[in-house]
Amino acid sequence: MFSGVATPSTPAPGPPPSQDQSATPLFSARGLTKIYGSGAGQIRALDGLDLDLYAGELVVLLGASGSGKSTLLNNLGGLDVPSTGSLTYQGRDLAGADEDALTEFRRHSVGFVFQFYNLIPSLTGRENVALITDIARDPMPPEEALALVDLADRMDHFPSQMSGGEQQRVAIARAIAKRPEVLLCDEPTGALDVKTGITVLEAIEHVNRTMGTLTVIITHNAALAEMADRVIHLSDGRIVEIQKNAQRRPARSLVW
Amino acid sequence: MVKKPRPRWIHPLHLKLLRDIAKMKGQMTAVSLIMACGLAMMILSRSLLLSLESTRDAYYQSTRFADVFCDLKRAPNALRTRLSQIEGAAAVETRVKGKLTLDLPGLSEPADGLVHSLPEDRPQLLNRLFLRQGRLPETGRRGEVAVGEAFAKAHGFQPGHELSAVLHGARQRLTIVGIVLSPEYVFESRPGDALPDNRRFGVFWMNERELASAFQLEGAFNSVLVDVAPGHSQAAVMADLDRLLAPYGGLVAYNRKDHASATRLDDELRVMEGLSLVFPAVFLSIAAFMTSALLTRLVRLQREQIAQLKALGYSSLQVGFHYLQFALVIVAVGLVTGAIAGLWLGSNVVHFYERFFQFPELRFHPNLPWIGVAFFVSAAAAFLGVVAAVRQAVRLPPAEAMRPEPPAQFRASLFERIGLSRLASPAFRMILRNIERKPWHAAFTALGLALATGIPVVPGAMRDGIGFLLDFQWDLAQRQDASLSLVEPGSASTLNEIRHLPGVLTAEPFRTVPARLRFGHASRRLGITGLPRDALLNRVLDARGEPIALPPEGLLVSAKLAEVLGARPGDRVLLEIQEGRRPRLETVIQGLLTDYAGLSAYMEIKALQRLMREGGTVSGAHLALDPARWEAFLERIRESPRVASLAVKDAVRKSFRESTAEMIGMIQSLYFGFAVVVVFGVVYNSARIALSERSRDLATLRVIGFTHREVLWIMVGEIALLTVVAVPVGLALGSLLATLIVHTASTETVRMPLVLSARTYATAALLVAVSASVSCAVVSRRIRHLDLLAVLKSTE
Repeated sequence: MFSGVATPSTPAPGPPPSQDQSATPLFSARGLTKIYGSGAGQIRALDGLDLDLYAGELVVLLGASGSGKSTLLNNLGGLDVPSTGSLTYQGRDLAGADEDALTEFRRHSVGFVFQFYNLIPSLTGRENVALITDIARDPMPPEEALALVDLADRMDHFPSQMSGGEQQRVAIARAIAKRPEVLLCDEPTGALDVKTGITVLEAIEHVNRTMGTLTVIITHNAALAEMADRVIHLSDGRIVEIQKNAQRRPARSLVW
Repeated sequence: MVKKPRPRWIHPLHLKLLRDIAKMKGQMTAVSLIMACGLAMMILSRSLLLSLESTRDAYYQSTRFADVFCDLKRAPNALRTRLSQIEGAAAVETRVKGKLTLDLPGLSEPADGLVHSLPEDRPQLLNRLFLRQGRLPETGRRGEVAVGEAFAKAHGFQPGHELSAVLHGARQRLTIVGIVLSPEYVFESRPGDALPDNRRFGVFWMNERELASAFQLEGAFNSVLVDVAPGHSQAAVMADLDRLLAPYGGLVAYNRKDHASATRLDDELRVMEGLSLVFPAVFLSIAAFMTSALLTRLVRLQREQIAQLKALGYSSLQVGFHYLQFALVIVAVGLVTGAIAGLWLGSNVVHFYERFFQFPELRFHPNLPWIGVAFFVSAAAAFLGVVAAVRQAVRLPPAEAMRPEPPAQFRASLFERIGLSRLASPAFRMILRNIERKPWHAAFTALGLALATGIPVVPGAMRDGIGFLLDFQWDLAQRQDASLSLVEPGSASTLNEIRHLPGVLTAEPFRTVPARLRFGHASRRLGITGLPRDALLNRVLDARGEPIALPPEGLLVSAKLAEVLGARPGDRVLLEIQEGRRPRLETVIQGLLTDYAGLSAYMEIKALQRLMREGGTVSGAHLALDPARWEAFLERIRESPRVASLAVKDAVRKSFRESTAEMIGMIQSLYFGFAVVVVFGVVYNSARIALSERSRDLATLRVIGFTHREVLWIMVGEIALLTVVAVPVGLALGSLLATLIVHTASTETVRMPLVLSARTYATAALLVAVSASVSCAVVSRRIRHLDLLAVLKSTE
């Protein structure tokens, strides 16, 4: 699958085809390095990575297990900070930000979707979304967020009363209810069957199109690449290829 | 360096056990400590009990402590032969017994004591003395005396020391030749006194002929001791004794059950036995709760590991035993710590008892069988605590267990269903629904918190009880400065003389006669005290501390006496006076009074004097004194041969503070220390378990943008809510426990009032609040260091 790995060096970061070349990137990473552990057990999860991400684009990060894609996502989402290198969001430094600044960043700018949904089991769908709308600056009503993911009729059910796909769509609604600039999805279809996975991807795609949210999906499912504006291939903590799709394929038509 | 191969004897499951334990050592230690507190208390009191009982039994046996006792006016020595022919009497001892007063340098008021004869023409058969130091008075030598150890110690007396004593009105110089112990004065106090006052009361032994001549009892005796042969009825022996001694002014015979020192010791043992069960039971139940909560959580967390073990081929039994080992480790650590603490405390606390009880040697005996019992009780409690969780874990088919657990079932809480949902924030709803989803779990946690809240109530109640007792006894009831007792009852003119002693402001007479009170099958030997109807100095009080006027007829008795006899106010009891013409009559219990030591019965003094057919006879007087003339007063008292004893209130109170109060203070600190351990252990563990159950939710909230503080509030909210519910319940439980303990500790010789003050409740609540705050601080630190990424990657 990595037939294009022949690229001699780390490709230069650049805007996707659908983006204006002169646009300022939302995220800008230079020499991004993350090292875990020390001594012999040291692991370079990210190894001097340069990357720009732009508003409105849908990016798929592809890579095998251990390629660094989760680490990259965690750094982008303010869940972790790089060991060295710079990382800015709208010009703000994230690499050196403290815990409070990162919390603030996550609270207002980032929506997360996880492989295992991570809903609060004691709250209904609507209440899980309301958790965010209670603390965000300019949220949409929970009902509206749930309608965006086509879940208006099941919103008063508890997670235990929903299918995996429904739970994941609640998670997406919860992520977007605060109108974030960035939506970060970590293996959003990893725990789902194909049919359910497609409905979830459709919801993500819909949010990206209607709200113009920068959406980053990490996956090791190469089929998802076709729905992206750009596909970034990671291996050993480096970007080995950035593939730009001239045309995004609708999620509904994906097969795997 | 070449890595050594892992030793084979450690099974991988044991390695897993060790490493899992290392991870949860804080929580396991907390539970073990709670268990250790309960076990320490159980082992401590059971070992003390064994030590005191075995010491008592050995001492009574080696010194041939008599079974039956009888005092009389005077009987010729010739009667001894007849007495020894009583059927069932294995040995009979006759002797002379009398009171003496002592003028001691360094002690302003006179001391008093009881002096007993030592046979010169025959060996001492019963109540043999244990010689601690020096020798016994030599046959034929005059002026030699052996002294009880407690009194000698209190004054630092050694053999060779001289004493100035008044025996039967005559001053005499006595030389101490030996320091001794006697089985009849294990509790060395004035007969009937609940508290020892070793500086002012002593026991003495002298040669028979000398003592008899001092008390004008030459060739006669006034006290009999009988050893009843095994298999014979003590009642029959007592009846025979009464019959034979009646012509000689015999008071009614009694056995060890009515013996002042023996009952005091037995009461102490009974209290200890009660406490050795009540308190540890509470601690061990808490520990069982905590073990259960901890291991249930562990089993849930290790659901997939259990599945893997089973998939690898381990049997349910092996897996079950593996988890049971966690409980066994808790029990083992608790037991070892508890046993060490209990035995260490015991070997120290046992010396406190040397202040109260005089034994040749009070050695600490670890109660090994009870350590075994403690182990089985705590292991059983822990086993019951974990068996359900383990069973649930091993029952799951491996394939199912390896899949992530489906989201927990929730529904709207009752609070919301009744329409109050608008009041609840999502965070509060999480809390409510969590509690409602596992109501038993929440109830157990709350119960654990409640029990923990209740425990510090007990030492608080003890402290306040002692404070109340001091005030009640010596400020409300006894308002006299001193109480003067006469050697022989005096007439109205004697009272008049007392009134005219220097410094006497008020003198209220009292008359005390020995008696037996019977109701149905129950009876007690006690003194009947006559007091003026509206006494101002020594007053008879009700439970609220209000004075009760003595009725013109009938008796006022200690509430405890009524309880012992099974009588109520209005009941007719049989009163058998054992002095003078020994009247017997039926009389009515007119009311109950409150007191905290001994059993007492009061009559209006004139009614008692009428009953005794005597004019204004008095046994002594309670006195209010002018402090400015204190020395002059004492001077006269020291000179007076008719004064048997002078009890100075402040001195008695001081002695109480130094002995009993200090002892209870020590027990109180011990209980309080245990309470702190329990409260902290329970609160901390509850918080940690709640945190581990919520960590995934909390991490999710942190990831999606909740601040540390906001997340902490959700966590704290749940603990706070349970604590708020638990504290009032706990205070009620603690009050119940204190009531139970005060009831257990309430004997015929000493009792504790039950005082539950706001201060006690506030202390208990505060202790819980502080523990909760500290626990929350720990939890807060843990939330700050939650591995957000790991939690999100895990399925549950």
